Amino acid sequence: MLGILKSMGMTARACFRKPVTIEYPTTHREIPNRDRAFPILIWDDEHDEPFCTGCHACERACPVECMTVVMKDNPKHAAGESKRRKIIDEFWIDYGRCMRCNICVEVCNFEAIGMNNTWAGHELSRYDRSELVMDLDQLLSQSKKHLVEPGLRA
Amino acid sequence: MTARAKGTSSVVVEQDAPEIVDIPINMGPQHPSTHGVFRMVLVVSGEKVLDVTPHIGYMHRGGEKLMEAMDFRQGIGYADRTEYLAQFSAELGYVLAVERLMEIEVPERAQYVRVILTELNRLSSHFMFMGAFGIDSGLFGTSFTYAFREREYLQDVFEEVSGDRLMYAYFRVGGLAWEVTDNFVERVHDVMKTSAKGIQDLDDLLTRNEIFMARCQNIGSFSAQQAIANGLSGPILRASGVPWDLRKDEPYSIYERFRFEVPVGHYGDVYDRYLVRLEEMRQSLAIIEQALEGLPEGPIVPDKMPRRLRTPPGEVYAKVESPRGEWGVYLVSKGGDKPYRMKMRSPSFCNLSALREMTIGQYLADAVMILGSMDIVLCDVDR
Amino acid sequence: MSIELLAAPLIDLPQRWMAALLAIIALTLVMTFAVMFATYYERKVVARMQQRLGPMRTGPYGIMQAFADTVKLVAKEDLRPATADPVAFELAVFAIFVPAFIALVAVPFTEDWIISPMPLSLLFLLAVSGLSFIGFLMAGWGSDSKYALLGGMRAAAQLISYEIPLILAMIGIVMVTSSVNVGDIIIFQDKVPLIVWQPLGFLIFLTASVAELERQPFDIPTGESEVAGGVFIEYSGIRWSMFQLTSYVNMYVFALLGAFVFLGGWEWPFGRDIGWGYQLFLTLAKMSLFIVFYLWSRTSFPRLRVDQLMSYAWKVLIPFALLQIFLNGLVLVYDLPDIVLLITSGAAALAMVALVYRAVRVTPRVPLKMVSNTMPARSVV
Ligand code: SF4
Ligand code: SF4
Repeated sequence: MLGILKSMGMTARACFRKPVTIEYPTTHREIPNRDRAFPILIWDDEHDEPFCTGCHACERACPVECMTVVMKDNPKHAAGESKRRKIIDEFWIDYGRCMRCNICVEVCNFEAIGMNNTWAGHELSRYDRSELVMDLDQLLSQSKKHLVEPGLRA
Repeated sequence: MTARAKGTSSVVVEQDAPEIVDIPINMGPQHPSTHGVFRMVLVVSGEKVLDVTPHIGYMHRGGEKLMEAMDFRQGIGYADRTEYLAQFSAELGYVLAVERLMEIEVPERAQYVRVILTELNRLSSHFMFMGAFGIDSGLFGTSFTYAFREREYLQDVFEEVSGDRLMYAYFRVGGLAWEVTDNFVERVHDVMKTSAKGIQDLDDLLTRNEIFMARCQNIGSFSAQQAIANGLSGPILRASGVPWDLRKDEPYSIYERFRFEVPVGHYGDVYDRYLVRLEEMRQSLAIIEQALEGLPEGPIVPDKMPRRLRTPPGEVYAKVESPRGEWGVYLVSKGGDKPYRMKMRSPSFCNLSALREMTIGQYLADAVMILGSMDIVLCDVDR
Repeated sequence: MSIELLAAPLIDLPQRWMAALLAIIALTLVMTFAVMFATYYERKVVARMQQRLGPMRTGPYGIMQAFADTVKLVAKEDLRPATADPVAFELAVFAIFVPAFIALVAVPFTEDWIISPMPLSLLFLLAVSGLSFIGFLMAGWGSDSKYALLGGMRAAAQLISYEIPLILAMIGIVMVTSSVNVGDIIIFQDKVPLIVWQPLGFLIFLTASVAELERQPFDIPTGESEVAGGVFIEYSGIRWSMFQLTSYVNMYVFALLGAFVFLGGWEWPFGRDIGWGYQLFLTLAKMSLFIVFYLWSRTSFPRLRVDQLMSYAWKVLIPFALLQIFLNGLVLVYDLPDIVLLITSGAAALAMVALVYRAVRVTPRVPLKMVSNTMPARSVV
């Protein structure tokens, strides 16, 4: 009986504590700088092109093989505007397969890829799986608009 | 009751009227209290359980085989996904195996951070147990919300350090993936305070509650001999009175440096398992306290780490004390950057094998409690 | 009565019938809204006890949640398993639903707000609220599901077992007040509510009523984690919502009964002559106390097991209820002062608590052993 009263006391005490709920879609919890949502490509403002040279290192290291990289000769290099001889032509990441392991970020030698650390990177529900295959424009769009500054680089 | 039950699915009771039939009941794979996609076929006579047949494998993804196609960095993510409530323990077991094979000396700081995170993870896993167990015992979600409140705080810390709330992928062969955050020590201190409060809340809510005691005591009892014969490990084994904790008995990482006590039960029933876990949480707090005091500065990976991890040929078995028991990784390498054979000894699977013996002869409601007291992770069972 | 005047021109039925019909319709509507409120209130209170917010999305602070739920439940497909017994399955709902509402006929909300004043209203209330187990059995059998059958059997066993201590506790009350009319019992308590004279009876009533309502810790027939909803498992949509509606109406009925019989209803502490407004307020306030207790127990207690449930009813509650009757009889026969009632009943209540306390801790358990050096473990192996 005493234990029962103790239990009831516990719930009564909890009644007067502040609820811990965060009403998710209307309020967003602040997410830490290191948050790893999904990989995105980073835009090089100086040269007005992506950092990515299409070196395939991330593609090879990805455990679930969700990336597809196509490389091309950099036209800007020919014009003398950029030091990158090769540049990314096409880039797909299948977010439906990606296991967000950060390995692609770790292997990239050009700091061209980073993990999205904003809520936009998490709220990716789609009606069709095929819409989760992100192409180069989609991968670059957030960095281009300076919406993301990936924090984690190992 | 129990004598006629062996190996039968539907039995006509002879001594009673012939039309009384023991009915098989299909519990799961979609049942609120099977903790995942697990199915057990219970043969009941009224409320008494005469026979249990567990069916596993609904979540089998061939994780071990997958990991054989992965190099040693890629495999860490899969270790997470196998044991998704004690991810750091799983990662630790995996990297320990590789480190032993490659004979890598892990820097001090990395060791300490590993211990802190693994113990915090033990807290969060046991919180999960407390919450789910409360629901199994029929509490209307109160223990669950209290436990999950604390779990969320713990996950906040994990997220700040590793970047993810669930699949941390933070330990690496040789050390850690990256340095911890600057305010790591304060954050861990904060979360230890809230966790201690959360443990006290759950203690107040459940431990001395007469109904809870009446429900838990003297069901699913296992003697020390039975527990050992069934190959149990972890809190279930200790509740049966066997003081066996890998952190003490075969210290890995740097566990031999910490002073802590191992709670050992006397009756081996569901209530003792609950108590052992509750006490283990307090001991984990003590370990974290000591580890935080001793946390040295320094590198987090050895200086001469090869860029590509290649193991020499050989085999190794590394085991850690995960919140569920002995989590072992058996690794065979023929040289190269991938394991030749990889086998996980998952505590959930081994403990689950005792379910039948524990449940037969108990009430239907107790079957739920006994399964809950095992604290299985179905992904870990099926791999 | 104004209702009768209203009814008279409508149709050429006896006014009495028409008035009763209107009153019942009004009551059903009022109760439906009361239940809607109760679900909202329950969700909010339970949420606070669990440090959550509860429903927040529908309307400000989620006040429209109950309406949203209703719309959703009504719009849902009403499924019947192909192998179910159509008659039992479909009628079970009504076998539970109707008695719960009929019970309200005899409830005196204020001194003269009562649909049908009857001299044996306490008996009527108890008798009618005891009918619902038939519905549970029908639902359990008719669903053709093993879980539903288990749930139905559990419900029947539980409801019948706990009916007995409930009625025995009420017999104690009837002995003290020498009336079977709820109105008279309320009037009897003009100075002191009966909870003071009958603490043991109150305890028994409280536990038995929780069991009759199938709420925690006695929600065994519907136990979510064991039989996954019990008899409700095959029901959906409007039928399922009628079950829920019934269980909340029952909660109101028992809360009202407790408020009338043990807390003095609208009589205590201000007397009868305070007008119906205050009377209604008193009734509702006392009813809320019971409802809060029901919600509170829901968040705090695990569920009992079937055998424990049964032994608690037959080995604890019923003997003590008989003891209460015996004590009351002693006091009545020898015409002892009322205070003796309090002392004996209180002592018996304490004895019951102590008994339960001891029963759980039959043998003192060996506490956990804390081992700091586990090495000797190898010898066990
Ligand atoms: S995060 Fe991991 S899984 Fe995702 S794309 Fe990068 S390497 Fe592949
Ligand atoms: S993201 Fe980095 S690693 Fe991947 S292709 Fe581009 S440059 Fe290479």
